[in-house]
Amino acid sequence: MIGTFDYVRVGSIKEGCELLAARNGGAVALAGGTDLLVSIRNTGRSPDLLVDFKDVAQLNRLVTDNDAGAMIGACVPLNVIADNTVINDRFTALAAAARSVGSYQVRNRATLGGNIANASPAADTAPALLVLGASVNVTGKDGTRKIPIDKLFTGVKKTSLRAGEVITDISLPPVGSRARSAFLKKQRVKGHDLAIINMAVSYDPDAEALRVAIGSCAVTPILLPPVNLSENEPIDELAERLNDIAQAAISPIDDIRASAVYRLGLVPVLLSDLLSVLLAPEGGAR
Amino acid sequence: MKLHEITLAVNGTRETLSVPAGMTLLELLREKLYLTGPKEGCGAGECGSCTVLLDGRPVTSCLVLAVETDGREVRTIEGEATDGQLSALQQAFIDAGAIQCGFCTPGMVMSARALLERNPHPSDDEIKEAIAGNLCRCTGYESIIAAVRLAAEGREK
Repeated sequence: MIGTFDYVRVGSIKEGCELLAARNGGAVALAGGTDLLVSIRNTGRSPDLLVDFKDVAQLNRLVTDNDAGAMIGACVPLNVIADNTVINDRFTALAAAARSVGSYQVRNRATLGGNIANASPAADTAPALLVLGASVNVTGKDGTRKIPIDKLFTGVKKTSLRAGEVITDISLPPVGSRARSAFLKKQRVKGHDLAIINMAVSYDPDAEALRVAIGSCAVTPILLPPVNLSENEPIDELAERLNDIAQAAISPIDDIRASAVYRLGLVPVLLSDLLSVLLAPEGGAR
Repeated sequence: MKLHEITLAVNGTRETLSVPAGMTLLELLREKLYLTGPKEGCGAGECGSCTVLLDGRPVTSCLVLAVETDGREVRTIEGEATDGQLSALQQAFIDAGAIQCGFCTPGMVMSARALLERNPHPSDDEIKEAIAGNLCRCTGYESIIAAVRLAAEGREK
């Protein structure tokens, strides 16, 4: 037995939100359960009620459109995102990040909405969503609103979601035809592990826009301030410039996975690897 | 504690049971249906020894609530053999020497089963990705990878 909670499977977002509101904090939304159930088991603190949103059709939609970007329902499993051709081609960092979470079995249950609602500083999809400029659509008893992803994370396992609100979709704005992105994660073992550090970079040569986000190095995943690319700047000089910005923006700690010093040392390594992938001359972008 | 009545198919047999909300699918399989092939190792989705197929996809049954499986289809290692005859995949595990203590084997076979169903001719890297969530402390994995390869090759014959 994992906990003493009761369980309800709801058929609509409205039904679920009404239940969450009526229980006044005693009810918790359930998606894949790969974080929530482990947490209930480990802490012994059980909510009164789990409200299972997984069967709501709207939350399982994955819609992609070259002109309109992508809309991913909160309950879409990470394996579905990792295997989606358009996500791989156009939103590469997100496909790679989704594929790096847990094991294959976990990714069949774990959802995109759950990964960000759980708000772990090490959440793998967070840096990818940050560089892709995602918005998080949420619904509560008072209606719906849109939260830019860089306003969602407020602390370790804390978000700007209000009591009773649930994430319904994550929307990704369209990317330019030459835009691309990549994600890398450093972990202790090759198999499945939480990140020592994870990082995503997106680059659009037409907009001259480059965005970098870093996870597992502060209380929230961090999106670096945008940088202007100067023409013909060598990749190693750009990496150095970005490293200076990154080192000032992050504040890693020593934990079971790595020391703060090691994490700081990995930043230029991952930056350099990601920039090589995205900006190398053979990529044809610069 | 309030009980929920659920109906699911387990290895092709329809089962109707009353379960408390906090019961895991693993507990339902082992303690209600006496299918003790799936094992509990970590109870946190890390070790994969409880792997079963839920609607054809491998999941760690320690992180699935029994009540969530109402109306679903579950396959366990007990569904591999037919009429007392081991499946080709099970036989490949024996032939490749992929079993030592055996604790990981039921989960390992189910992960491999799901892989071969979605990808009948996997590369070694694809096999490794599919079983990365199944820990084995005996074999060093090489013989397990060889077993999955052997089962895949057997399909071509």
